[in-house]
Amino acid sequence: MKPPPFAYRRASSLEEALRLAAEAGEDAKFIAGGQSLMPLLALRLSRPSHLVDINRLQELGGVHQENGALRVGALVRHATLERSPDLDGPWQALREAAALIGHYPIRLRGTFGGSLAHADPAAELPVVSTALQATFIARSASGEREIPVSEFFAGPLMTVLEPGELVVEARFPAPSPGTRSVFEEFSPRAGDFAFAAAAVVLAADDGGRVRNAHIALGGVAAIPVRAHEAEAALEGEVLTGSAAQEAARLAAAGCDPSGDAHASGAYRKELVATLVGRALSRLREER
Amino acid sequence: MTSGYIGVSVERDDLAFLDGTACYVADVDREGQLYARVVRSPVAHARILDIDVAEALAQPGVVAVITAADIPETRIPIRLPMAETPYTHLFLQPPLAREVVRYVGEPVAVVVASDPYLAEDAAELVDVDFDELDVVSDILSATTQGTPLVHAEAGTNIVATVPLGYGDVEAAFARADVVIRDRLRMHRHTAVPMETRGLLAEMDHGTGVLTLWGAAKVKHFTRSALSSMLGIERHRIRLVENHVGGGFGVRGEPYPEDFLVAFLALRLGRPIKWIEDRAEHFVATNHAREQEHDLEIAATADGRLLAFRDRAWCDQGAYVRSQGILPALLPALHLPGPYRWEAFSVETRGVLTNRTPVGTYRGPGMTEATFVRERMLDKLAAELRLDPAELRRRNLIRPGELPFSFEPAPITYESGDFPAGFEHLLDEVGYDDLCKQRQVRRASGEHVGIGFAAYTEIGAIGPFEEARIVPRSDGRFVVHVGVASLGQGVETVLGQIAAEKLGVPMDAVSIDHHDTEKLADGFGAFASRSTTLAGNAVALAAEDLRAKAAARLDVPAGEIRFVQGQVREPSGRTIPLAEVGEGRGRFDKPHPTFSFGAALSLVSIDRETGLVKVLRHAVLHDVGRAVNPELLRRQLAGAASQGIGAALLEELLYDEYGQPQSTIMADYRMPTVEELPDIEVIVEERPNTANPLGVKGGGESGMVGTPAAIANAVADALGVEGARVWRLPLTPDRVREMLRHH
Amino acid sequence: MPHVDQHLSGDWLEADESVRIRLVANDQELPVEAPPRCTLADALRDNGLKGTRLGCEQGSCGACTVLLDGRPVRSCLMLAVQAEGGRLETVEGLAAGGELHALQRAFHDHGALQCGFCTSGFLMLAAGLLREEPDAGRERIREVLSANLCRCTGGGPILQAVLAAQRELRGGRG
Ligand SMILES: Cc1cc2nc3c(=O)[nH]c(=O)nc-3n(C[C@H](O)[C@H](O)[C@H](O)COP(=O)(O)OP(=O)(O)OC[C@H]3O[C@@H](n4cnc5c(N)ncnc54)[C@H](O)[C@@H]3O)c2cc1C
Ligand code: FES
Ligand code: FES
Repeated sequence: MKPPPFAYRRASSLEEALRLAAEAGEDAKFIAGGQSLMPLLALRLSRPSHLVDINRLQELGGVHQENGALRVGALVRHATLERSPDLDGPWQALREAAALIGHYPIRLRGTFGGSLAHADPAAELPVVSTALQATFIARSASGEREIPVSEFFAGPLMTVLEPGELVVEARFPAPSPGTRSVFEEFSPRAGDFAFAAAAVVLAADDGGRVRNAHIALGGVAAIPVRAHEAEAALEGEVLTGSAAQEAARLAAAGCDPSGDAHASGAYRKELVATLVGRALSRLREER
Repeated sequence: MTSGYIGVSVERDDLAFLDGTACYVADVDREGQLYARVVRSPVAHARILDIDVAEALAQPGVVAVITAADIPETRIPIRLPMAETPYTHLFLQPPLAREVVRYVGEPVAVVVASDPYLAEDAAELVDVDFDELDVVSDILSATTQGTPLVHAEAGTNIVATVPLGYGDVEAAFARADVVIRDRLRMHRHTAVPMETRGLLAEMDHGTGVLTLWGAAKVKHFTRSALSSMLGIERHRIRLVENHVGGGFGVRGEPYPEDFLVAFLALRLGRPIKWIEDRAEHFVATNHAREQEHDLEIAATADGRLLAFRDRAWCDQGAYVRSQGILPALLPALHLPGPYRWEAFSVETRGVLTNRTPVGTYRGPGMTEATFVRERMLDKLAAELRLDPAELRRRNLIRPGELPFSFEPAPITYESGDFPAGFEHLLDEVGYDDLCKQRQVRRASGEHVGIGFAAYTEIGAIGPFEEARIVPRSDGRFVVHVGVASLGQGVETVLGQIAAEKLGVPMDAVSIDHHDTEKLADGFGAFASRSTTLAGNAVALAAEDLRAKAAARLDVPAGEIRFVQGQVREPSGRTIPLAEVGEGRGRFDKPHPTFSFGAALSLVSIDRETGLVKVLRHAVLHDVGRAVNPELLRRQLAGAASQGIGAALLEELLYDEYGQPQSTIMADYRMPTVEELPDIEVIVEERPNTANPLGVKGGGESGMVGTPAAIANAVADALGVEGARVWRLPLTPDRVREMLRHH
Repeated sequence: MPHVDQHLSGDWLEADESVRIRLVANDQELPVEAPPRCTLADALRDNGLKGTRLGCEQGSCGACTVLLDGRPVRSCLMLAVQAEGGRLETVEGLAAGGELHALQRAFHDHGALQCGFCTSGFLMLAAGLLREEPDAGRERIREVLSANLCRCTGGGPILQAVLAAQRELRGGRG
């Protein structure tokens, strides 16, 4: 279980990283926290010709709130998000999701950009990014583009990123007033990838009537998915227990997870109802 | 004349583990060593058409590549005569597959290179052309008509049938008021010690001796197996044990790699190192436990057990390895358990499947048998509307009935007090109070359940152990034994026995179990036998030494003392210790000892997610006599933790093509501190009448009743749906499934 | 031999070309020579620091945990070249001046080890945690310890040991 051979280069600036990746060609890869790439290398499921190390790119490291919007740099470690007390209200789901990723040492190294680019269907950050409607800024030697989260994931461990293209930042639009978010997941053992996960973002008016709802699910499809019927059912309603229950039911009904050796499709579907239900009842109680 | 060490929790010297200086086999390096990498079959069953090693051989750093064509036709033998049959030789494993591969992970070739990275690179380039065959992927289909044969030459997938009987079963069933019958399945799982296996072999060209580091558990057997397989004399093979990162029954058996690494060291004349990686470990190291039972029990309306019938299919995997038919034999011996049956008939079968071979894992056979029997007893209790504790009370064999024998089945209980042990467990955990708590918690909407299990555990399997005590001129004593340390603290325990019996301080005694060179014979650390067999051998060796010393001074053995390198008698006469020679002891144990144990578990279930949480877990074991109570408690607690993992999380899954689904640790879920409660351990000491020290086995028993107790607790918590608990592990998905169909 | 910092001069470290990597472990320079693909764990072990164990080599068990700049990392999930410029601590450096660290003593006292294979990793994980969060509560400590696996003890005694060491390190307060 030793990594296959590759050439290595540590980039000292963003420009350099992009240039190096371009120069090294199709089979080059970036390495950030290494918490997903290193296991893949050990199992020889990934065989890059070159690794461009982006860990020293301080320009990718910040979490900024401006005019209600949020920007998270690609190199922000999970542990940094987990420990950002100002990520509350509309951003709470982000902090909660980060705290549920793997284990403490994993979170100290793993990065936001790495988690997005790795695109595990059960990973927390892609799900929460989906619910919070992030846009990702991707750069390569030939330029920059913005990729809405809804277009970013292409399948399990697949994204639309081109070789040499680096996620530099995730941007989250300013939420409407009264927006709150929570994250729920279920895994059979501490720190494992979730069997299913749900991020719920709700904006409610002063009377408690839901103005808009975003529900994203993980672990139930090849990529994170939105629970559109459940969202629609909540909008315009007061979040009562029965409204929550109905939304949870619709969220489950609207997805069709396939099973694997560890959890069947039917089970994952049940989990969706449970998790969405729990998320909504927390939003009800924590008002 | 004793120094009072036996029964005292003497602290273990564990400094080397704390400061990082402990030396496991991966930490041993020899000048000029090369690294071996095993090429393994990616398919479960296929004919090998061709193996092309040319490209691998041409890689940088590669020194050699071998296939079956390069090694002698030889197979790994079975260790214990009791585990052999006239047919088992048909199913033994060759070190490298010849013509046919029979499971994913079977060794096909070995690449040797100057560096482990390069060896792995080259191993990927060994090109094997397979013609795939149909696969036996499940124990039940192994014996159906028209099924593929794992070993075509043998004409059957049945390795062995173990029939056991006692009393008149038909008559007992005819008298029964209640008969219940069910299928119960224990799943494939295994030890997964934190250290993988590893070996390092070196030929000393001067002395002609081949040294092998990394052997454990059954060193002396591995040595004789290698001697016959390699065709070199036993005394030219030396096995050295290093620190060992957990054994639990799977480490230290002779495996294909033991032969291969030794063979390569001889062939290439250079030290060869092989460290199993974790993905290999999941397909190469013995699996355990998978079996299905069709069990029927008969009882009277007032809850008296009459008889049972059991037919079982026990997975052996694709080959019979060194543990022979133990996977089928040991469950049979443990099915009756501590209860007073009038009759039973058992037929367990060892069957072959195209999957990793099965060996023994902590509590082998007993854990499986206890699960199926205890689960059925709870079903019977439910049927009779009887408290499950009461059902057991009514049927446990009483002390007055001991020794109790199920002859002609080879099961005899020599000593103990089963009902008292069971009550002790209930008292200790406060069973009545726990039942009230359950009531209260249920009323508040929680789904909690209590479950228990009682069992007998085979321990101290013979045939014998030897010990040698060599006094040194500086007044110290070196004790040579043949058992291995597998992280159990056996050195400490044997040191206590030696010191007490010699009448010297513990720091005057050192235990040497590392080296086959120092002791002629020994059988190793399995079946909780170290303390009983080696312990008694050490005690006998100490007595022998005292007797020899006393004879020299012509006084009774009780009167001499060992002081400062001298033997002294009461009137003050002394002789130098070095003149006495050495003490030798051999303890024979033709019949195994059975000891009693029980477990109790309190669980809660999240009915929405199916997650089971163990709130309390207690294990009780009668160890006869606890030489070191604290070390024993730790072992019992550790074993129970593994049992909780087995009951709830761990499973080695395969798909219908015989492809393993759990080949990385992330897919084989061992419990972490978050999943485990504090384990409550109760040690009973009812001295064994069958050996001078009075000890019984102990190292495995925390495991034995644990899956059964948890399964029963989950069933209790589930209520009506609980009747559906028939197999393990009780993963959240499975728990939900049971709830869903109602 | 090329050096890891040669990117400054604009070159790649070629695959399987041995490079000189200056690691500093336990305040000592470790003159490592290894190709870029060499993991930090292997580099430490090949250069005398064998107390760092390998239980899985893919991030699941934690046996290889060391401290990098004071924080626990899994050394099988890093390349040796990546650790250059950082400050490494391994189990060999835990006992200062021959005196065992409070954690080491507590592990002994609480039976937190049997075979000892997981011990180095747990010690370093706990050392990193208690340094960064000296007042971590029981639940937090338990959560963090779930990062590593101990097959022999299950981990309960390890939790007890870490709590005891924490009490001692805080001078008995709290
Ligand atoms: C034991 C364990 C448990 C884990 N549990 C979880 C879990 O529960 N949930 C979870 O979500 N994750 C889990 N992870 C994975 C962890 O979250 C990773 O940190 C994350 O998935 C990848 O981030 P990284 O920075 O480590 O990326 P790396 O491993 O460095 O890279 C991953 C991939 O992303 C690419 N990449 C990295 N950064 C960028 C970028 N900025 N732009 C473009 N491509 C990039 C790399 O080329 C590579 O292909 C676990 C890992 C381990 C070892
Ligand atoms: S060896 Fe690094 S986590 Fe297991
Ligand atoms: S002490 Fe053996 S794995 Fe922890």
